[in-house]
Amino acid sequence: MPRLRVAVDVGGTFTDVCIFDEDHQEVRVTKVPSTPDDPMRAVMSGVERGKIDLENVTLFSHGTTVATNALITRRFPKAALVTSRGFRDLIETRDGTKEDLWDAYKDVSGPYIRRRDRFEVTERIGYTGEVITPLDEDEARTLTGLLKARGVETIAICFMNSYVNQKHETRMREIIEQELPGVAVCTSAEILPEIFEYDRFNTTVANAVLAPLVMGYVNRLEERLADGGYTEDLLLLHSGGGSMTPRTVGQFPVRLAASGIAAGAIAAKHVANQCGYRNAIGLDMGGTSTDISLVHDGELRVTKQWQVEYGHPIIFPSIEVLTIGAGGGSLAWLDPAGSLRNGPQSAGADPGPACYDTGGQDPTNTDANLFLGRLGTSLAGGAKQLDRNLSEQALAQIAEPLGFSLEEAAGAIVEVANANMADAVRLVSIRRGLDPREFALMAFGGAGALHGAEVARELSIPIVIVPANPGVTSALGCLLVDVRHDLSAMYSKLSGDITDDEFERAYAGLESEALERLANENVAPENIVLQRSVSMRYIGQFRSLTVEVPPGPSPLANGIARFHEQHEQEFAFRRDDTPVEIYQIGVEAIGLTPKPDFAYQEPRPQGPPSPDEVRWVWFRTTAWVDTPVYNRDALRAGTTITGPAIIYQLDSTIVVPPDTRAVVDGYRNIHIHVQEY
Amino acid sequence: MTDTIHQRHQRKLDPVTFEVLRNAFATSVDLMSEQILRTCYSFVIYSRDFSSALCDAHGNTVAQGSGDIAVHVGTLHFQAKAVLAAFPGKIHPGDVFAINDPYRGGTHMNDISFIRPIFIGDELIAFAQNKGHWADLGGTVPGSFDVTAKDFFSEGLRIPPLKVWDRGQFREDVARLLTENTRTPDVGLGDLHAQATATAVCEREMHRLVERYGKETILQAMHEVQDYVEDIVRAKVTVLPDGVWETVDYIDSNPGHPEGLVPIKIKMTIEGDTIYYDLNGSAPVVDTFLNSGYGATFSAIYAGTKTFFPEIPLNSGFYRAVLADLGPEGTVVNAGWPVAVTGFCSGVYEKVVNGIVEIWSQIIPDRAMACSFNLEYLLVGGRDARSEERPFFMWYDWMSGGWGGRRTKDGSSCTAPTFGAGLATQSMEGQERLTPVITSWNHLVTDSGGPGMHRGGLGVEKGGQITDAENAVVSYCCDRARSVPFGIEGGLPSIPQGVWLNKDTEDERFLGAIFSNVAVGPGDSFTRPSAGGGGLGDPLLRETQAVLDDVIDGYVSIERARKDYGVVINAIRPELDEYEIDDIGTKQAREEIRTNRALWIAEDPESVAARYRTGELDQLDLLRQYAVIVDWGTGEFLPNTTAEFRANQARRAVSYWV
Repeated sequence: MPRLRVAVDVGGTFTDVCIFDEDHQEVRVTKVPSTPDDPMRAVMSGVERGKIDLENVTLFSHGTTVATNALITRRFPKAALVTSRGFRDLIETRDGTKEDLWDAYKDVSGPYIRRRDRFEVTERIGYTGEVITPLDEDEARTLTGLLKARGVETIAICFMNSYVNQKHETRMREIIEQELPGVAVCTSAEILPEIFEYDRFNTTVANAVLAPLVMGYVNRLEERLADGGYTEDLLLLHSGGGSMTPRTVGQFPVRLAASGIAAGAIAAKHVANQCGYRNAIGLDMGGTSTDISLVHDGELRVTKQWQVEYGHPIIFPSIEVLTIGAGGGSLAWLDPAGSLRNGPQSAGADPGPACYDTGGQDPTNTDANLFLGRLGTSLAGGAKQLDRNLSEQALAQIAEPLGFSLEEAAGAIVEVANANMADAVRLVSIRRGLDPREFALMAFGGAGALHGAEVARELSIPIVIVPANPGVTSALGCLLVDVRHDLSAMYSKLSGDITDDEFERAYAGLESEALERLANENVAPENIVLQRSVSMRYIGQFRSLTVEVPPGPSPLANGIARFHEQHEQEFAFRRDDTPVEIYQIGVEAIGLTPKPDFAYQEPRPQGPPSPDEVRWVWFRTTAWVDTPVYNRDALRAGTTITGPAIIYQLDSTIVVPPDTRAVVDGYRNIHIHVQEY
Repeated sequence: MTDTIHQRHQRKLDPVTFEVLRNAFATSVDLMSEQILRTCYSFVIYSRDFSSALCDAHGNTVAQGSGDIAVHVGTLHFQAKAVLAAFPGKIHPGDVFAINDPYRGGTHMNDISFIRPIFIGDELIAFAQNKGHWADLGGTVPGSFDVTAKDFFSEGLRIPPLKVWDRGQFREDVARLLTENTRTPDVGLGDLHAQATATAVCEREMHRLVERYGKETILQAMHEVQDYVEDIVRAKVTVLPDGVWETVDYIDSNPGHPEGLVPIKIKMTIEGDTIYYDLNGSAPVVDTFLNSGYGATFSAIYAGTKTFFPEIPLNSGFYRAVLADLGPEGTVVNAGWPVAVTGFCSGVYEKVVNGIVEIWSQIIPDRAMACSFNLEYLLVGGRDARSEERPFFMWYDWMSGGWGGRRTKDGSSCTAPTFGAGLATQSMEGQERLTPVITSWNHLVTDSGGPGMHRGGLGVEKGGQITDAENAVVSYCCDRARSVPFGIEGGLPSIPQGVWLNKDTEDERFLGAIFSNVAVGPGDSFTRPSAGGGGLGDPLLRETQAVLDDVIDGYVSIERARKDYGVVINAIRPELDEYEIDDIGTKQAREEIRTNRALWIAEDPESVAARYRTGELDQLDLLRQYAVIVDWGTGEFLPNTTAEFRANQARRAVSYWV
């Protein structure tokens, strides 16, 4: 039996399964409907549908929305917060800001733990770590008794300034654990030993409310897989673009909060790398939204500012993904001043685009693409039939007030959607001082390849790459991750006051902890990679900038040189004469996992096969034009197709506009050359 | 005024180009904001007290940042126009201007705009502007907030339009003049560079757009996006009924003058598709810095109005459909040179915004909201004795508070001020590292939400203690110790704002809601609440279960549940959240309140004040049951203030009770 690597990515609508056959170097994909009430059912039915014998699986990787959904629906076990006297409301008072600045009826959602479940204990640590008020242990014991009487299942302990001295938090935890065995307890200093109480408290609270739930899910899944004969570690994709084993998930369940979002970005990076691009922008367009990610110099952008809902930060490194409300189902509409708008409202799956004939009346991007001939009337290998007449009726609502023909209206709708996506791409690239023209655009998701080439043209991006299975690219991402942990420590010193030796010693502490974690996850020493980073700022500045510290001599000087360089690149100025303050140091601990070796077929330059059909498709520059339609499965490596052309496959449709050229590479990726230089 | 309906503007641009450029302009501004947030030095700017705009060649605003602070919204075009007026024919590529002048449409000294003209060849096509709040700009008080100021000379450095960069040359002498007039010159210089560089981001984007679409199209688009906003506002106003609405809100007092609330009068007329405001009849300027220049008052008018049209983008098109007559110079809402205006944000601005919200709550009832808490700043400044160098420190603190009750739900608790809903409070751990002040508590204030069918959101109380400080003084910029945030449609007020020094000790002092330069030393403690929002609707109509939930969470006390809502709740095992509603007791209590409340508000106020001084009645009894205002420290009765307060409570609450 062939050895298999399996990745399962759970999405809102579908659970995607990607199976890599190591012996034949083949990728198979399968999709099953998600089962939100118990996501494991879909995982196991995907395993069954994919005819996977778990005994032959060498690696099982999983991206899950269990944690994200729990945070959104607020379905938590009974949780409590124990905090310093005077600070019970900190997770409710937050920083006070609203997401919608002008709508007085749109509120930030409430805290993860209600006020009635938040308790204070007398203690106080000062900013240098000195004890101002000792922990009142009698009070702590009385409180523990109360927590027991209240039937609390999970507890977050969050004290002021615990990041400099965690003595009181640790003691509080001991007292609770003595009295309440079996209750999950986490302290803020072990979850996130960093300054800024609200960020630390909220991250810890999110961790606490997720702990019983996520661990329950992971343990059940682990058992089911073991019952089926899987003998290796279950790997869970975390927000930072790495994976963890169930042992670490038990300590840091909150790291799974963005598990689902990271996978697509990782796949974008992989495909870019496969095609030889160091700079790439991922455009993952689905039914309701588009996720935009960015790979620069071979690396994905990672942010520490992340949240599932506005106002509830989770401060762990997360792959930076910008999500905008532009998808196949996004609605086109006219505002009161008669301007044409697109999204962010979406027809979603219910009522769906007009052409689905499931009750939707308003025009969507899908309707525009169908009317223009870009999308065929039969999707998913005939599983879904679309009704072009219904699209026409919906489009008339836009065309008439604007005095447009239907094709002009549909064209305008697509162009506005493209412009919105292009603006979002500008936000992730130009604001970093990065020129989109130096990037390749990775177009995937169900609708990415319908729009990709025109978005690229809008941005003067010369090339678009459509991976082999655009609709299940995210699942592929799950196959490509390493075990990875991110550790950090506060530092807060002027760079001039530190020696290289001191700097080195600071890292040594973090690195020994990192090695311990990887050893705990059974990573062999030869597969371990440690990468140092340092966050710095010009003295007086409020935000810091994180740069990698290269291995080798003079780490401090090298780090500072990189800081000046990167500051200038991102913000167009540097101040070499200003002292640089070191704010925080970090270590990325990576346990390399074996990567699939994808099948490669030497491209043989050739023309296209004969098309399945020729149909009328509308483009701005040509109006209605005869356009060949190809089945992607029939395209061999080396095939060149000159636009206009349409290429369809089971999970996506690719538009190759006029004046562009599509080439199939050895890994079956399609490169669309938008501009020839 | 003319009761006409304006024709929608004709557009030359096709809808796609228009929509693309409309968004691109907004993106070019947001890119500028994004950069300033990442490079600024002042913690005030970092907390989002800044704004950005793209203005056209005439200074009219084309696009504002989506995250901008509300208080700047109506002022950016004035500042760009001031540059044009000051340098006719002398604006060149590579120039960067600075301006903070409140007498040229600015807000206050601390808000400095950096303005970069954008050229195509030698043609001026636009301005990129970033306005940010510097933590200090000199003057007699750290933070440049001197409440005793009668004119700006003691407040801080006034900056008329001037060039900090001249044709690309950095004018270090000019920069030094600005930064060396602050208590923290390094921070100032850092922000000067950060703000000026940020405007270059917008310039770069505009150059890209011109390259892509051509200059004529860009000029046309900058024009059309303003027409577009005007069209959209007018389309929305046309469908509203014509009419005239009036209200009045108050500043607490005029220091050095007899007690009595200081009125700000607002009359609004809708005729056809235009909104007219009239602020005539507002009080003459006061002898403190709570006055407002015309720019800041316009800003309050636009911000208050926009609360009811949250989805409309802001630019000068908005200002064409929303007109205002501020009345003659010399009043609190139109203070001319050289009247002190730095505290406008806690004074006039809050009153105009909340008054306008009250008016619009009648016109668009499903977006109604009662009064929200007042912006407040507490400043402790002095020398930090924790280090040898004893540097200047500023513990410059502002809180969130409660917003007013709404048609369908309670007010939002602990929310940034209406001054700027994006203004973040600071990290207390961060403050403790930077300054010799330790925070003792920071919690929600039980019973601070104004009672109502939908109660106001809750305020926050923050207390602190001075540790190793020398020559420290404390100042406070706030208001509404007496003009307490009000309820509407039968709802009741929240709580007064104001600072207590050494509360619950022998040295206890109530310092009030506005003071400066009060000396403090190590060991002194202070605390102050932010108010909650006022309630909306009769509190006796609030569902008893909602009151019970509030009691379980400690948002409302058992005592006030009975007094304010007439809901009698018995605590069974409160530690396990077990309470019960006494249905019979509740019926009786509500009946008793319903019968007597109109009498309470008519009781002899002087004797009510006396009962406060003996401890028989408390602050909330006075405000909510008797509508009596006293000096909260001494208990001294304030007859004029009480008369005005009662008249308003009668109008806003009693007249709605049945």
